[in-house]
Amino acid sequence: MTIRGSFGEATDAYQLPRLVRLAPNLYAACFTLMKMVPARFILRRAAEQGLLEAGTVIVETTSGTFGLALAMQAVHLDRRLILVSDPVIDERLYRRLTDLGAVVERVTAAQGRVAGGYQAARLARLEAIMADLDAAFCPWQYSNPDNPRAYSAVAEYFLECLGQIDCIVGPVGSGGSMCGTVTHVRALLPECRAIGVDSHSSVLFGQPDGPRELRGMGMSLMPDNLDHRVFDQVHWTAPAPAYRATRQLHQRHALFMGPSSGAAYLAARWWAGANPDALTVVMMPDEGYRYQDTVYDDDWLAERGHLNEALPAGPVMIDDPGQPAGSWMVFDWARRSYDEVMSPSRPSAVTADGGSR
Amino acid sequence: MRVGEPRAAEPEQLTAGLRAGIGYATAHHGELLQGVFDDGTGRLRRALVTMPLPGRGSRVVFYPSQSHWGVVGPPGLTKSRRAAIYALREFAGHPSPAKGGRVEITSNVPRGIGMGSSTSDVTATIKAVADYHGVSLSVEEIGRLAVLAEIASDSVMIDDRVVLFAHRDGLVLETFGHRLPPMVVVGCDTAPGQVVETLGLPPADYSDREAGEFQVLRGALRRAIALEDVALLGKVATASARINQRYLPKPGLEALIELGLRHGAVGLQIAHSGTVAGLIFDPRQPRATLDGCVLRIEQLGFEVTDVIEPAHVLPPRAAHRAAS
Repeated sequence: MTIRGSFGEATDAYQLPRLVRLAPNLYAACFTLMKMVPARFILRRAAEQGLLEAGTVIVETTSGTFGLALAMQAVHLDRRLILVSDPVIDERLYRRLTDLGAVVERVTAAQGRVAGGYQAARLARLEAIMADLDAAFCPWQYSNPDNPRAYSAVAEYFLECLGQIDCIVGPVGSGGSMCGTVTHVRALLPECRAIGVDSHSSVLFGQPDGPRELRGMGMSLMPDNLDHRVFDQVHWTAPAPAYRATRQLHQRHALFMGPSSGAAYLAARWWAGANPDALTVVMMPDEGYRYQDTVYDDDWLAERGHLNEALPAGPVMIDDPGQPAGSWMVFDWARRSYDEVMSPSRPSAVTADGGSR
Repeated sequence: MRVGEPRAAEPEQLTAGLRAGIGYATAHHGELLQGVFDDGTGRLRRALVTMPLPGRGSRVVFYPSQSHWGVVGPPGLTKSRRAAIYALREFAGHPSPAKGGRVEITSNVPRGIGMGSSTSDVTATIKAVADYHGVSLSVEEIGRLAVLAEIASDSVMIDDRVVLFAHRDGLVLETFGHRLPPMVVVGCDTAPGQVVETLGLPPADYSDREAGEFQVLRGALRRAIALEDVALLGKVATASARINQRYLPKPGLEALIELGLRHGAVGLQIAHSGTVAGLIFDPRQPRATLDGCVLRIEQLGFEVTDVIEPAHVLPPRAAHRAAS
């Protein structure tokens, strides 16, 4: 009963994804900048609660799109923003952030050679900055419960558009988007399945930590906002299959998205194909512009050997997340806690299809 | 004497020759959804979506008096008297305003079980006072006056569309459509003999998480009403009932949901401040399964009260005549 209108500010316009049908039972939720959902929600809520007085400086540790979203919202709120990043920050993103008025502090490569890598070094720098400021507000995207909570707007949109959703697939980083969206959808549809997509050498679902080339998913530290009990199934993809799937998404569906979207598409396409009666939604967090010189460049892919192997037809089923096996793996997480899965001594509580909220 | 302090007036003291005003309002069968919702400015307000009950209602006759201040009405129904006083205040300055008067209520709405007996009394009273003054109030104005008189009010006065109604502010937060999808609701009393005093209940203290869940239910209901998807509407009502179990638990709620599922119901709606509940069916469902369901509900110890088909609501005028 409402007509289409305009947006009051740019960050509002960036919030909701576009739902695009890829197959009769598969929809892509294409975000321009998914991190805008928690960034806008957290900062607006902080402002309402009086935590963002005129002199308060917003600080956060991020080398990615959450920082961009914060910088955009900080423009609307007219607040200073300091972001702590590492040397691998994309140069174009750096320029865009500083153009929005953000101060970007980069920890050095030497500082990054500690346990927990750059993430730990950045946290230490962040704490030092906060100690020096009179008034600071840190969104703490990895532990702030407002991060998953913000995704109620996305869940509302999905249900208004689709009515029924049987499975949600998406890349996992902070845990906010997948845990937030799925938990809210399950308020109406408790049986809705959740499939998380992680990268190799990420600690999120029990793999040993290591260097990761694939951006936009996976972590070296465990975020509080990741509620493992949300997930029915977990996939891990190496860079090569994720990049190939990203390109196929572009070639076959004209969707120009980043590699974490491609990784999620790989898992979602496989699951939706095997479950033709289940309506599946796949989360696609950002667009392809940042990857034009890499994922979208055949020479770059060839140099790195990413074109050597054909894309696997399906994932390798594994029964121990700690034992990687192949470039694309799947594990039946079955809505268990991390300890239930990773400590074999403890009895596993629920089955794959069981479990309520 | 101030208006607002009613004083008994005997019928013979009513001014002769003044015409009476008449008002009618339907009852409701609890809600399809109730919680907290964004009002469009980022502020959360308590709001609900009413399940209309066209077969029951209140008819009020307002007999005006120009010589005596104050309003008299049936004993115990102070909200209706208060509604009349607020409505009279609204019309002060109108040609030939009444100073006070007498309110006479005829109602077939059971009291204290969540069917909105006081809301229909109050709404009909406001309409009767308006009718006496020859004024047709907008439904929003009636809603605002009803909330003043009642503190919290369902949206029975808004009978021409389905709305998300902020029941403590008298505001429409969203209009979902012109009518509910066709459905059949088997209503029952989950605690026969027990009476809930609405104003005695503390308002539910919903968590942030629940506020997010209500947002999702709102989106689903928007779709369900626009597309006449009764199955989706049933899921929304069931989810709302379950969230609200934390605040005013219905005995046997899960047993009732379970029973409904076995008989093909698409969901369950409840009175969020009362004891009635209703199993929602697709009207294309064979009638025999409904009858079987009624039998089972009674075996659970609940009392079947009404079988409701809200999509076939009589137009307000016709309903008025039917009750007169």
